[in-house]
Amino acid sequence: MQTIKVNGKMREVNSSQDTPLLYVLKDELGVSSPQFGCGLAQCGACSVLLDGKEIRSCITPVSQATGKEVTTLEGLPERWAMHQNLSPSKAKGVLHPVQEAWIEQQVHQCGFCQSGMMIKATELLESKPNPTLDEIKEAFTTSGPSPHLCRCGTYLAIVDAVRHASNLMTKGVA
Amino acid sequence: MEQLLEALTGETFETKLEPITTDVYGAALTRRGFVKAGGALLVGFGLLRGGVAKASVLRADGNAFDASLPQSWIEIRPDNTVLYRTGKSDFGQGTIYTAYKQIIADELDVTFEAITTVVTADTDTTPEGGGTFGLLGEGTPNIRKAAAYTREALLQLASQRLGVPKEQLKVADGVVSGGGKQVSYGDLVKDQNLELTIPVGGDLTSIFGLRITGNPPLKPASEMKVVGKSYKNSNISSKAKAEELWITNVKLPGMLHARVIHPATLGSHLVEAGKVDTAKFPNTQLIVKGDLVAVVAPTEWEAIQASWQVAGKTKWTEWKGLPGKDKVWDHLRNDSDWKTAPVARGRKNKGDTATAMPAAPKKLEATYRLPYWKHAPIGPTLAVADYKTDGSVTVHAHTQNAQALRGQIAKMLGTSVNNVVVKTYSGAGHYGRSNGGNSGAEDEAVILSKELGKPVRVQWMRNDDMQWSTQSPIAFADVRIGLNADGKIAAYEIDHFMPAMQDDRMIGAVIAGLPTMNAPSEKGGPLNGIANGPSDQWLYDTVPNLAERAHGTYQVGQKASPVAIGLRDHSMRTPGQFQQNFPREMAMSEAAGLAGADPLQFRLDHAKDERLINVLKRLREESGWETRPTPAPTATSMGTGVVRGHGVSAMLRSGTYWGCACEVSITLATGAVKVDKYTVVLDPGIVVNPEQLKRQAQGGAMMGLSIALHEEVPFNESAVTAQDWYSYPILTMAEIPECKVVLLHRPEFGTMGQGSEAANALGASAIASAVFDATGSPMRQIPLRPAYVKKMLDARNSDTNAIPPHHEERNDGSKPKSDAPAASTV
Repeated sequence: MQTIKVNGKMREVNSSQDTPLLYVLKDELGVSSPQFGCGLAQCGACSVLLDGKEIRSCITPVSQATGKEVTTLEGLPERWAMHQNLSPSKAKGVLHPVQEAWIEQQVHQCGFCQSGMMIKATELLESKPNPTLDEIKEAFTTSGPSPHLCRCGTYLAIVDAVRHASNLMTKGVA
Repeated sequence: MEQLLEALTGETFETKLEPITTDVYGAALTRRGFVKAGGALLVGFGLLRGGVAKASVLRADGNAFDASLPQSWIEIRPDNTVLYRTGKSDFGQGTIYTAYKQIIADELDVTFEAITTVVTADTDTTPEGGGTFGLLGEGTPNIRKAAAYTREALLQLASQRLGVPKEQLKVADGVVSGGGKQVSYGDLVKDQNLELTIPVGGDLTSIFGLRITGNPPLKPASEMKVVGKSYKNSNISSKAKAEELWITNVKLPGMLHARVIHPATLGSHLVEAGKVDTAKFPNTQLIVKGDLVAVVAPTEWEAIQASWQVAGKTKWTEWKGLPGKDKVWDHLRNDSDWKTAPVARGRKNKGDTATAMPAAPKKLEATYRLPYWKHAPIGPTLAVADYKTDGSVTVHAHTQNAQALRGQIAKMLGTSVNNVVVKTYSGAGHYGRSNGGNSGAEDEAVILSKELGKPVRVQWMRNDDMQWSTQSPIAFADVRIGLNADGKIAAYEIDHFMPAMQDDRMIGAVIAGLPTMNAPSEKGGPLNGIANGPSDQWLYDTVPNLAERAHGTYQVGQKASPVAIGLRDHSMRTPGQFQQNFPREMAMSEAAGLAGADPLQFRLDHAKDERLINVLKRLREESGWETRPTPAPTATSMGTGVVRGHGVSAMLRSGTYWGCACEVSITLATGAVKVDKYTVVLDPGIVVNPEQLKRQAQGGAMMGLSIALHEEVPFNESAVTAQDWYSYPILTMAEIPECKVVLLHRPEFGTMGQGSEAANALGASAIASAVFDATGSPMRQIPLRPAYVKKMLDARNSDTNAIPPHHEERNDGSKPKSDAPAASTV
């Protein structure tokens, strides 16, 4: 038994220490957003933030999450509220600007990869609030273990949405 | 019926009046009585078979429809809201949550927001069936007719209620008015038990499903208010907010996780299944059914690890019946049976090419090739099956055709479709792979659940999905174009060659030795026949002599495989037409080169269709096209620098006219192709939702770029050797070009063309044409990977017969060597 922190809550985990975090999240903890795409850290569908850094949960043993903070798509609103110091009443119903931007720009087609894309965008915008096109491309292509792949071809929409989210975050819109 | 209505509305009905039935454009509107509270107008249908209308019955398990007779398309509720049901599922097109709602809203004269509930793709609770494809393009969508019938019925009710002739009534936002009086749809149905039975034909569990027949009056485009606006897709919101129930998250009590150990080759039998190392995997069970080997465990990680352990110990017979990737073209040309299947001829064939071709002063003869591609969903196939001791089974799946999957599962089990329920959930895009029902895991889940008597979740791993799923069929085409003295096409001949495109057999059933549909053959129907058809609509109407022919054959390796598997093909986004459009459009650009013409103008010079001409002219403006002969004056294949060129392509698919222009850079030292700018112009007639259509076209364009630059399924003599995203690479974000999508809204044509296909098929020929334009070296095969491009450039540079890019010097009587990468003059 170990305890890991997921989206701000301490969760007890019964899975063996070597179990990839992805299966712990989906099968044991009921966290639905990270997806199994390859199990090989080649696509990014399973991406989550581990202490703010995008990692591939499909190859990361759950033991590596001990003492760290796991953030998934479900946890983005709370992460944003915390960064913006929003009171609980103000934080209610507020989405992370990345989520707002993905909706406003109508990014998803099948959407299977988009949880990972939004996680990557969050990581990027937290370190570079106003990324250039090249920096966006670099973030989604060469910055991690592999490019973040989208089979539906939504890369153009993702770029639009990252820029949209960047504007929202710069304005500090709650 | 009352019982059913109760189940739907939760209200009690009191039948006090004799049923009253009136005719509405061939549909029957029946008032069966009044109810105390609630009420609804339910739009269902009577499926007439042998002249007998089936009665509806409730399933024993409560408030679900009889799976054999889906009941309702549209419900008008007393609160003036609308529910609609469709048997289609969403695979990223968004149509079900946007365009369909807009179409219904306009036909019904309600607001977009009034449609509050959408029920999709559940064999128990949705009508229709049919594959999720051609959602707008294949004629009038069912749902539009359902809405039109409903509106007429509501007008009839309003006419009676208000005492005003139907013709004098107007509707706005769900309120009918006339003669100084008004009544809302909600009030019309309130406290009443109404049922509209509309005429339907077709076969529920076939790939095409049911079609609503008859001709209710449809609203002309000029009166549409909701259609044409960019409404957001509610499904995107639920996905962005992490509220969506994905197939990957379906869990049932007591569910076991399975992994299947697929055979070593596409023609192997099982010799001996490996044993589970029970010390390491104490909770794992091994299941063997025929050649189907699987492990099941309570946790996913144990099942995965056990499958690796067992796979290493499992023995299979050897098989080497495939030609392998390098020899496949020779195999297709010389060692395949193209004679058994009838040759299909183009619908616009005319004139006499046999006479005109030899008389033409300039000729192009070329062969174009397209490899196998994987549909390559980002998530591998997955299904959960729950087989009950009473012989019924529920399959939780992600399929483009729930009813067809239901039919297939019933066939495998040797049971009635009434014993099979398929429920669908969101999942990764399939791009056609499951339009015949299955995508790989569904039958395996059913087989294992039946064996174990417990719910079983089968998740394929990435390598399973690359190696054991179907693929888009390989194809090649021989083109001959004869130009007259004016540089116009005097004769055009094309012979398309492609193996059977649709193999919907369930692979788990095949491996387990259970019944499934037959392998493609000359005896097969449209879905498992080996004939090829003319898919690419001819666009260049001024060509006086035209001969298009399509040839089909068995799938590669299918006959050689002892288990009749081989390389299984399946329709993939813009199926068949992609394979036919690429050679035609690439040849058109090369012919323009031979004529010393601009390739865009060359197309215009051969077009008569006003919509095509309009699209091409807009493409010229929007892309900043520089009109000049191709190849470019600067074209060269020599040296190590970077050369640039532009290319163009056009297509008519499912009522939409498309034009595409690309600008590319080629690094001559390496053969690397970079697409710098990509412009798409499309005229679908009525643009239903501009924002959604733009996103679909952009996405399709990027998938097309991926196919053009990267994609080719590797295989050896035994199996597909792609296992992951490195052995089957697709486009990354770093490669996206500047992209412009121009939508031409032309409501005067009154039709809604399709928007999520074709975009993926335009890029390859435009890009290949642009490389030709930049280098003078024709690219007659995709993908345009650097090694292939470099090989073609080097071949051209070492070919003394190659044609230099100076058009006036071309007519030198030289003949190309076989396969020489040059346009030929004869």
